[in-house]
Amino acid sequence: MATQTATADTAQQSLTVEQKLQKMRELYADAPELGKAALKNGLAMLTQELAAEGHAQTAGRIGARQGKVSELTVFLPFVKGGAKRLRGLLQLLAGNFRAADAVGTVHDMRFVFVDNDTKLLFATAYDGDFDPYIEDFAAKIPNAMDLWLCNFEGYPGMRNPSAAADWIAKHQIAAEAWYVNSPNLTATETRRLEGVGTAVDQLLDKIA
Amino acid sequence: MTTLEQTRTGQDQTIEHTIQQLREVYADAPEMAKVALERALPALKSQALEAQASQTESAGRIGIRLGSVSELTVIARFAPGGAQRLRAMLRLLNGNFSGGKKVGTLHDMRFVFLDNDTKFLFATAYDGAWDPYIDDFATKIPDEMDIIFTAFEGWPGIHSPDVKDWIAKHQIPAEGWYVAHPDLTVAESGRLKRVGKAVEEFLDQVS
Repeated sequence: MATQTATADTAQQSLTVEQKLQKMRELYADAPELGKAALKNGLAMLTQELAAEGHAQTAGRIGARQGKVSELTVFLPFVKGGAKRLRGLLQLLAGNFRAADAVGTVHDMRFVFVDNDTKLLFATAYDGDFDPYIEDFAAKIPNAMDLWLCNFEGYPGMRNPSAAADWIAKHQIAAEAWYVNSPNLTATETRRLEGVGTAVDQLLDKIA
Repeated sequence: MTTLEQTRTGQDQTIEHTIQQLREVYADAPEMAKVALERALPALKSQALEAQASQTESAGRIGIRLGSVSELTVIARFAPGGAQRLRAMLRLLNGNFSGGKKVGTLHDMRFVFLDNDTKFLFATAYDGAWDPYIDDFATKIPDEMDIIFTAFEGWPGIHSPDVKDWIAKHQIPAEGWYVAHPDLTVAESGRLKRVGKAVEEFLDQVS
């Protein structure tokens, strides 16, 4: 799947902008009127975007990456009683999950209950590649991970990191497209810049 | 919405009481879960205390927010031919969404095809409240929005008075939302990058 996508992308990269625009027009020939009109009106920006160098990359085993930031999107099947337990846990944490601070490469995470509480959509943005990311969780917060992931079918436990990584990858659906506003800003670099910003403010206060 | 109300009620109870409740819901959990709960309890107590200080709030009409950063998660059905059009278009763009920068409050967004190309997941992290965010898309990149969203069943068009209802109807609010830097808006991260660069240049000059 990943290979197919890569091949398709390489083939499309060799097209000229004009050829890409032509493809786009063909694609939208049978689109609803609204879509056709939007294509016509948005042509200037589209031309720019099509001409720009490709930014899509992969996060290793699975998932999309842009610059240094990757995405992970999984749908996990709840075991009986799992949805109730996870909901109770999230409510205790007031919807927050500060344990992830210890991992240091997480940008954001969302927990969304779908299909009548039979599945959870978990989606996160993180730094780097898939396998080291899961290894980090296993090394730094195995308890917190077991506490919420034990609510899903077939979860092998974080004390078995490679099985846990396989299990996650099996439920993961790679994003077809992924946009990050600051693709080179890792969570670590953000912390450093926040520190620099505070120091500069203090310095300016002293001079004033 | 009931979740938020429940969360607030939860805040009024003592943490000890809530932990007792959690023990009860974990009573019939797999052994692994019970062990994990007992091991995690000390950390969980302090997290719960911290969480009270930085709890998620409503992002306005729908969705939740932590600090300045909100989440929007939409799952919608594809219109006939929509999946094929959208996939081909996303591949042509190859990760370039200069339109996203124009909005100025958008941290990240993902496009995920589900259930044999019959459904679609769109998930984004953004600054501030729901209504102004949607307004921003409508005023700044209306054509991009229509190009993408005409792939879905019932999309009324970004200029339609019904567009917000359509989005809200397909949105599923998250029940958990973690942001590493909840006070960092897109604008503030842009400013910090410039400050960081200026400081480096300054240090180069003094060295």
